[in-house]
Amino acid sequence: MTTRGFPLSRRTMLRGAGAALALPWLEAMTPARAHAAPGASAHPVRMAALYMPNGVHPDFWTPETTGRGFQLSPTLEPLEDLKHELLVLTNLWNEGSQGGDGHYVKISGFLTCTTVTKTLGVDISVNGTSMDQLAAQRAGKRTPIPSLELGTSPVTTGVDRNVGYTRVYGSHIAWNGPTSPLAKEIDPRHVFERLFRAGQPETGAAQDRLLLDRVIDDARQLRERLGMADRQRMDEYLSVVRSLEDRLERAERPEESDWKRRADVDPAARPAGPPKDFAEHVRLMMDMIAMAFQTDSTRIATFMFNNEVSNQSFSFLDGVDGGHHSISHHQREEDKLRQYRIINRWHVEQYAYLLRKLRDMKEGESNVLENSMVLFGSGIRDGDRHDPHNLPVLLAGRAGGRLDTGQHLTYEKDTPLANLYVSMLDAFGTPVQRFADSTASLRGVLK
Amino acid sequence: MLAVILTLLLCAPVPLLRAESVSAEEQYAKARKLLNAHCLVCHRGKAAAGGFDLAKYPTQASILADPRRWNNVVLRVRQHEMPPPGAMTIPHEVREEFTAWMTRELRQAACRDGLAPQPAPLRRLNRNEYASTVRDLLNIHINAGHILPADGAGGEGFDNAAETLFLSPIHAEKYLEAARDALHYGSRDPRSRKAFIISEPGEGVSPEAAAQRNLEAFLPRAFRRPITGDELEQYLALYRRAALSGRGFEESLLFAFQGALISPHFLFLFEEPNPEAGPRLLGHYEFASRLSYFLWGSMPDKELFDLAAGNRLHEVEVIETQIARMLKDHKSLEFAERFVEQWLGTRELGRDIKPDPELFREYYDAELQSAIRYEPILFFQELLSGNHSLMNLLDSPFTILTNKLQRHYGLDIKGLSQQPKRVELPEGHTRGGLLGMSAVLAVSSLSHRTSPVLRGKWVLDALLGTPPPPPPPDVPELPEEHTGAAPRTVREKLAQHRQNPACASCHDRIDPIGFGLEHYDVIGRWRTHEAGKPVDAKGELPGGMAFEGVGGLKQVLLARKDLFFRNLTAKMLGYALGRGLSLEDECTVDRIVEQLVNKDDRAQQMVRSIVLSVPFRYQPGTRPGVAVTQAEVKRMQEKP
Repeated sequence: MTTRGFPLSRRTMLRGAGAALALPWLEAMTPARAHAAPGASAHPVRMAALYMPNGVHPDFWTPETTGRGFQLSPTLEPLEDLKHELLVLTNLWNEGSQGGDGHYVKISGFLTCTTVTKTLGVDISVNGTSMDQLAAQRAGKRTPIPSLELGTSPVTTGVDRNVGYTRVYGSHIAWNGPTSPLAKEIDPRHVFERLFRAGQPETGAAQDRLLLDRVIDDARQLRERLGMADRQRMDEYLSVVRSLEDRLERAERPEESDWKRRADVDPAARPAGPPKDFAEHVRLMMDMIAMAFQTDSTRIATFMFNNEVSNQSFSFLDGVDGGHHSISHHQREEDKLRQYRIINRWHVEQYAYLLRKLRDMKEGESNVLENSMVLFGSGIRDGDRHDPHNLPVLLAGRAGGRLDTGQHLTYEKDTPLANLYVSMLDAFGTPVQRFADSTASLRGVLK
Repeated sequence: MLAVILTLLLCAPVPLLRAESVSAEEQYAKARKLLNAHCLVCHRGKAAAGGFDLAKYPTQASILADPRRWNNVVLRVRQHEMPPPGAMTIPHEVREEFTAWMTRELRQAACRDGLAPQPAPLRRLNRNEYASTVRDLLNIHINAGHILPADGAGGEGFDNAAETLFLSPIHAEKYLEAARDALHYGSRDPRSRKAFIISEPGEGVSPEAAAQRNLEAFLPRAFRRPITGDELEQYLALYRRAALSGRGFEESLLFAFQGALISPHFLFLFEEPNPEAGPRLLGHYEFASRLSYFLWGSMPDKELFDLAAGNRLHEVEVIETQIARMLKDHKSLEFAERFVEQWLGTRELGRDIKPDPELFREYYDAELQSAIRYEPILFFQELLSGNHSLMNLLDSPFTILTNKLQRHYGLDIKGLSQQPKRVELPEGHTRGGLLGMSAVLAVSSLSHRTSPVLRGKWVLDALLGTPPPPPPPDVPELPEEHTGAAPRTVREKLAQHRQNPACASCHDRIDPIGFGLEHYDVIGRWRTHEAGKPVDAKGELPGGMAFEGVGGLKQVLLARKDLFFRNLTAKMLGYALGRGLSLEDECTVDRIVEQLVNKDDRAQQMVRSIVLSVPFRYQPGTRPGVAVTQAEVKRMQEKP
């Protein structure tokens, strides 16, 4: 996309948007040169967010020492060899996700920093857009796939009548708008196929576009006959069809884009069959994120280890005999706390696995991890308390040299999590002045 | 007497006060007192919290005139969200009394003016409906929807609720791919092919003429209604474009078909908005689709289309004949499966809920697992097709077993195989009804042990529709000991937990129900001992009513069949309509329940009542809230 005509003044934009939640520097407002690769790096910056349900054992999460020479906490030990690439962020909180209930509000608001509407479905809204999608809306067209949404479980069935929320909330962190949760891909083979095809001119793409033109026309006609509420649904249809049309169009005309596949997809990496167990499933998804970043098929990915309130059994780990959610309600009881720690640590190990994998992928003089930032976190701190204060949050990778990693940063109590997202969006090359309840960029994160 | 005690048993707003003889004025005065004491401090004046100013509601009438808002008040008070943490808490009984009174008043107010149909939001086919529709349209036997993402649930808890059927960019790709694959697969199989390619070019038939004939037959089936000349022309144009680019007849035709399968006309269940001021009956084609997506989860068949074409689907007799026919058709299994698995929550079995493979190795037998999963589904289908009493769901002399499942249940019935079969249960059995089914018992257990709390909660929520509120904040949950002190039973631990009055108010009602089911282990096997001690399945509900075991529990539930029917009816109506119910829809639920309780509680009666109801058959006009007249309702539900 190119900037043309007169850029909008910020005032015009503010008037148009009313009291907008986030004030992104829209593409139209950015000087054209900002579109060149951000920063000094010749490599694109990638961004991933990994979400772990059910919180952490609070006593073993936070490192005791701060600053550059900090000592990792027991739960974070698996990150020892990645310490210099890591930021441990203490005392961030998500005010919007306070109250409501213990889980659904926490997860669906994790990347939006908003308060989601309480509903079994009719009024579903997160009242915002998630940080990753804000980035995708602005920079997603630079790659064949604007963003990847991955997970291991399909949407949890049903509505939770105990607390009055649809479980749709518990199953999504990526929201492309207040009423647009993005469906997760949970089959690693399907992800592979998408990456394999990404950016390649597809046979029959021109024909496909004919079909899409046809149905866009159908949708436009249908839209005219609908009431206001239903028009929104048809707009959603139109937008997803147009996004595909746009993708096919771009793939057909590679000469018009400066995108190039940065590494070949190795057909041998195609996942053989459905994952045999949960651990393998997670690993395969991590492999897919790494491959997506290495090939530059997308620069934005979110991954949910599981849906919130998941009671995934972790009895495959030594010393654990129950489900995740049950164990997270430990009641300070020794044995459950011990098991909880093991589960927390396992998640950190998977995070470390992805980071190492990215680090092992050479990119020019550096590696993919150098040019990425990978967030890891949960919507609550202690699973037994459902509290969004002092959230467990990690960020790794240097975002092409923008992030000042290798520190444990402790903030004033109740520093908005949204401040971190302001910093990340900046490092990603899609700066915003504000994001949700942010008050500033997060001190010490950016160089 | 039993019924009176049982009303106390439930953390439920609705039934709690039925037996009381407090005057309407007194009840309103009580509610007002609560509002003044607990809410007014924040909700008053210009700066009222949440813009909710109680001064705007000085009378009962003014409260009832704003049902949406007050319905929300009820929910938030009931779920302990209001008053907020830190404020003075409302005693549990007072809270329950208030919410029960409000709920009843709001519902009565909504029903006073008759039945007004609610708007039906535009609904996308969900993944299962998509797969079944493509299957029936092309007569193929592969699941064309398997590559689509799963859909979440809304409304009454089903994944066909319009409000939560979102579209993500990934859908566009997948629809394109799924349609292409299904059409190519179908065109290669002669049996499928003749279902959707009815004309081939040949002598006297030009390729274009053949394409037109095919589209004339295909499009109305795909769009579930007659098509216009323009529409035919537009899809014929797709054929021509493909043919011009050098593709053969068949490929070009499939190309046009592929377009139809990604069109919103196919993917959405569209109903032409009603331009009149008042409500009207849905069009015949639209009604045919409502009926077929309800009872088959798929598109209408030829018979339904023919009836729609003949304008016959407003006739009660015709509709009833169709219901009976459709429930006998094997496609009604889709209804049973999707409805039952989501109603009972058993769809999560094998997903988020998995019995511990080390402790319950026996469960990990594919044949047994399948028998367990399908028992409630096939049982429900048997009730529907055989038109049995719905009370069988609570207690029944028969169930659906395979040989492995009966052994799992400790039975010894001859002549069973791998095939599930209806079986009359022998004397002295411990099964019969949903509560004796492994699927239900496993889905309400932890992976490594049974949980009376989860099972009690499951019964209150899934069977009686009265889910307990979430625990009040900062109340410790059940401590569990693994090592150290001598092991205590779950029952002892729970007793300790109930000593906290904040816990007891609900757990006195939850836990005993679960105790009644303690003879069943995590995977639903019968056990006489747990942790070396004889199983104690005695429960005592508030009011001193004691019962023992699943038999006693069934009696408890049978005495509250009104609650059970109400919940089941609301669930099924929500499923049938594909949306969450509104207060006005609750009036319809009340009427259906009345019929079930007093007249006929057989399964087909329930389906019939739903299909013939105002919300299922009518659409609102441009003026909201206009009711269908009593005379019209009566006329439309009776045979001439």
